[in-house]
Amino acid sequence: MNERLQRILRAGSRISGRLYLGIGGAVALTMAASLVAWYSFDRVGDAQSVVNERSVPEMAAAFRVARQSSALVAAAPRLTASATQEDFVRVRDEIAEDRAAFQERLETFTRRGESDGRLRRIRSRGGTLIANIKAIEASVAERFALTEQSDALRAELEELQSRLERTLMRAIDDQFFYAITGYRTLGEPAVPRATHFSEEEFHHYRHLVELQATATLGMRLMASAFALSDARLLEPLRERFEASAAGAERNLAGLGGAAVVPELESGLAQLFDLGIGTKAGFDLRARELSLAERQQKLLDRNRDLAAGLVSEVEGMVRTARASALDATQTADGAIATGQNLLLGLNVVSIGGAIVIAWVFVGALLRRLGQLSERMRGMAAGDLEAEVEMDGHDEVAEMAAALEVFRRRSLEAQRLNLVEKLAEELRGKNDELEKVLGDLRKAQDQIVMREKLAALGQLTAGVAHEIKNPLNFVKNFSEGCKEILEELQEEIPPAGEELQEEQRQLIVDIGKELDENLTSIHQHGERANRIVHDMLSMGRGSGERQATDVNALLDEHARLAYHSARATDSNFQLNIKEDFDDRMGELSVVPQDMGRVFLNMVSNACYATDQKRTAQDDGAGYEPTLSLATRRTPDTVEIRIRDNGGGIPPDVVDKIFNPFFTTKPTDQGTGLGLALSNDIVREHGGAIRVETEPGQFTEMIIELPVRPAATPAQENLDGSAPDDAPADEAAEGA
Amino acid sequence: MNRPQGRFPAGLLAAGLLLGAWASASAAEVGVFEDRVVFGQSAAFSGPAQELGKNMRRGIRAAFREANDRGGVHGRRLELVSLDDAYEPEAAIANTRRLIEEEQVFALIGAVGTPTSRSATPIAADADVPYIAPFTGAAFLRDPQWTNIINLRASYYQETEEMVARLTGDLDIRRIAVLYQDDSFGRAGYRGVRRALDRRNMDAAALAVYPRNTTAVKTALLELRRRTPEAVIVVGSYQPVAAMIAWSRHIGFDPVFITISFVGSNALAQKLGSEGAGVFVTQVVPFPLGTEPRIVDRYRNALAVHAPDAEPGFVSLEGYLAGRLAVAALERAGTDVDRTGFLDSLRRTEPIDIDGFELRYDDDNQGSDLVFVTAIGRDGRYRPISHLGEAAHP
Repeated sequence: MNERLQRILRAGSRISGRLYLGIGGAVALTMAASLVAWYSFDRVGDAQSVVNERSVPEMAAAFRVARQSSALVAAAPRLTASATQEDFVRVRDEIAEDRAAFQERLETFTRRGESDGRLRRIRSRGGTLIANIKAIEASVAERFALTEQSDALRAELEELQSRLERTLMRAIDDQFFYAITGYRTLGEPAVPRATHFSEEEFHHYRHLVELQATATLGMRLMASAFALSDARLLEPLRERFEASAAGAERNLAGLGGAAVVPELESGLAQLFDLGIGTKAGFDLRARELSLAERQQKLLDRNRDLAAGLVSEVEGMVRTARASALDATQTADGAIATGQNLLLGLNVVSIGGAIVIAWVFVGALLRRLGQLSERMRGMAAGDLEAEVEMDGHDEVAEMAAALEVFRRRSLEAQRLNLVEKLAEELRGKNDELEKVLGDLRKAQDQIVMREKLAALGQLTAGVAHEIKNPLNFVKNFSEGCKEILEELQEEIPPAGEELQEEQRQLIVDIGKELDENLTSIHQHGERANRIVHDMLSMGRGSGERQATDVNALLDEHARLAYHSARATDSNFQLNIKEDFDDRMGELSVVPQDMGRVFLNMVSNACYATDQKRTAQDDGAGYEPTLSLATRRTPDTVEIRIRDNGGGIPPDVVDKIFNPFFTTKPTDQGTGLGLALSNDIVREHGGAIRVETEPGQFTEMIIELPVRPAATPAQENLDGSAPDDAPADEAAEGA
Repeated sequence: MNRPQGRFPAGLLAAGLLLGAWASASAAEVGVFEDRVVFGQSAAFSGPAQELGKNMRRGIRAAFREANDRGGVHGRRLELVSLDDAYEPEAAIANTRRLIEEEQVFALIGAVGTPTSRSATPIAADADVPYIAPFTGAAFLRDPQWTNIINLRASYYQETEEMVARLTGDLDIRRIAVLYQDDSFGRAGYRGVRRALDRRNMDAAALAVYPRNTTAVKTALLELRRRTPEAVIVVGSYQPVAAMIAWSRHIGFDPVFITISFVGSNALAQKLGSEGAGVFVTQVVPFPLGTEPRIVDRYRNALAVHAPDAEPGFVSLEGYLAGRLAVAALERAGTDVDRTGFLDSLRRTEPIDIDGFELRYDDDNQGSDLVFVTAIGRDGRYRPISHLGEAAHP
């Protein structure tokens, strides 16, 4: 039991455990929120159903009653406003419909069992209103009848007015004209002046004018009566109309039997009949006005009734609306409660999330950060510090694993270091050995050179000593030859004394002697040449001069060529020159440098000639010598290249050694290249050889532009300067 | 989200339908049909001015029938709907309404009278219906504010100016009286005379009026006689004017009478009979029995063909000219004629030449400025005169 509890506690301290815990908490909060929402919706739904089932129908019914009642309220003014009989009938029918609808609505309302005082009042007011509307209907119908009559009367009056006016105007015009002129009818003569210009005729005129005024007044009074809206003002108009009727009667009587009288009489009679006679226009108007007054009263009452009804209906609507409002408020309350609860849950959720983030995630991230820091340190090479992490979660386990890894790495690193040191040691050893080999080789070379130098000195000494005896040999062999010639010249005169055989023998002996002497002389010459060469080696001659190296090379190349041609007429050589124009003048010893060039070109001539003669037919081979010079800022390079047989590899290293030659004994001394090498070295330069056996040989002479001048020359005299290069001193000695 | 998308095409469709309806409405102007164009006329066909209305109608019809016999204008026959207003403004209003709203006429033509025109023009202007060639020279119809009115004839001002010019020039008369009908027509004529007199620093020798639609003119006659004028300019319609001249001659009061074209010349001459000799009437159309210009000949031919019973006269000549003006405007306006195009076609700078009778509308809405003077002879017939002295007192 205790063990199980511990296991659970341990699980709680692990990340996975905490994650499960967090998710569980979130699910629990969500469920709580859902429950709250469900609860709120349920309450809102309850409230809504109250609204839907009770308040809304109640309100709708109230509104319908209100609408129907407003239709009734508006009915009476519409009735009185209808302009024609058809309008009136249509409005009346519509009102009948509205009335029926109103009563039906009211019935439905009552059947709902909610009959209270208000409903009763609405019903009773509605009833009264309907009765009133019926009364208005009757009065409007009556009004139409009256209006029809009065319209007819007015039309008649209008027609009468224009007829009466025209008649009166013509009558007045005629009467005035007659009274003044005495003419009554066109074409008839005038009556005597006493007849027409008489008191009677003027009275006639006055009566006509008064009649016109009376008629106009009567018609105006009638028109005023029909324009009138107040019944009480009608009586004065009628009174004056009666007065004008009496006046008309008087004036008509005054006219007597005038021709126009009957026409006027009937017109005026019609006018007064319209007003106060059988047509009784004034009475008609009075009835119209009193009817209008009655109608107005009915309308006023209608308005009061309508106002009462409207206020009752409005009260009903208000009640319905209040009930709907109550239900809505309940729903609002439920919504607010739900919102508050959800808000609270949200706050708790957010708070929880923050606490979890702070306490758990923060700690986890910190621990992971520490671990990551250590791993980065290890990656950078810090394997010394121990990895430690307390706790029992996955990070602690990772830390433990990292610690094991660290220890292994440390060991591996140490082993690696030892191996690397051993390897370095081996490398150094090899290097040392190589240096040692080089040292030995250099040593051997130095020794060899020392030997060669000593040999050179010895040779010079020997040569000097041999030169004198050789001179003797030469001179005496020449002397002998001269003597022999003299002897042979002497023979012919004496020949007569000698036998032919003797003479022949002497001649033969003389010839033999001569040949021997020539041979002695030749070999003496050769010995002398060798000696001369030996003497010239090891001794520089002449001064440095500014020299055109291109010209010098050209001159000596030609010299060598002609020399070779002189010896062998078959000799061929194609010379190509590629001289650098920028060469200018170089400070050299021209005799020495010329000798170098001569040696080298001679060797090339020899090599090419050898190759040419070796190839019997000579077909396809063209002996060629290429001369090239190049100037760089610091050095001058001279290349002498032939396409002869080249130099075999085993010989190449020895060509600069004195007395080394590949030529037959009588053609080379083996000193030419050795001497050339020395001369170039004296000038601070060097000779390189590039060759390919059977293909070509190229001698490359490199000279510095600024001579290391004097020291080299001094060096020739045997006193080595302090700053002269060691190897040069060794070689040049 | 879906609702506006669903409604938008419906809105477009509705707009399209409206556009289509508008296009079809504008394509076919009111009163213009595939095969005919309908004109309306409200004029006096009863009462004291009936001869004027009847003759106007006769002239217009002759011109229309003549065009229809040629196949109409752009393939459309011309029709005329005439209603009687008896020279009463109230009736003119009702007729004009009926012609525009019920008869759906394209344009109104040949109205007779100043007070009637004055009542009808606002209605025509409100409906933007062309109001062509009314038989009156009143100044208000020459007001450039009317965009729908086209006058044919010279104005009353021009007629009265000609009268005063001739009286003072030809006969050297200084005492000129005015007798006018007491309505807007009479007052328009009177104003014209006043202008002409004022221009010459003259006063009217006498002024007299008579009520419209009556023949009660004798009081006025006495008023004139009292002042002994040498000439009387009469602005009225033929019945009272004839009565007045007859009575004047009867009582021995015999000034020079000169009256305005509106009087209805032929009716006047007929009423007066032998009493009419020496009465001058100004005219706004050429002498219908003359030879110049060509239009007169054409008119007599048309009248002979289409109204063989009618005598040629000034009023029916004016009616014929009005009809010819309508025909010319339709021809100029082209096939797709509408009211604006019809009116605009007249206002172009090139004049409308109706067989030698030239009309211009490029500067005002009055086509002709011509005033002719005629006199009634002893035979009761009219003859054109160039000098009032030609027809000295009988």
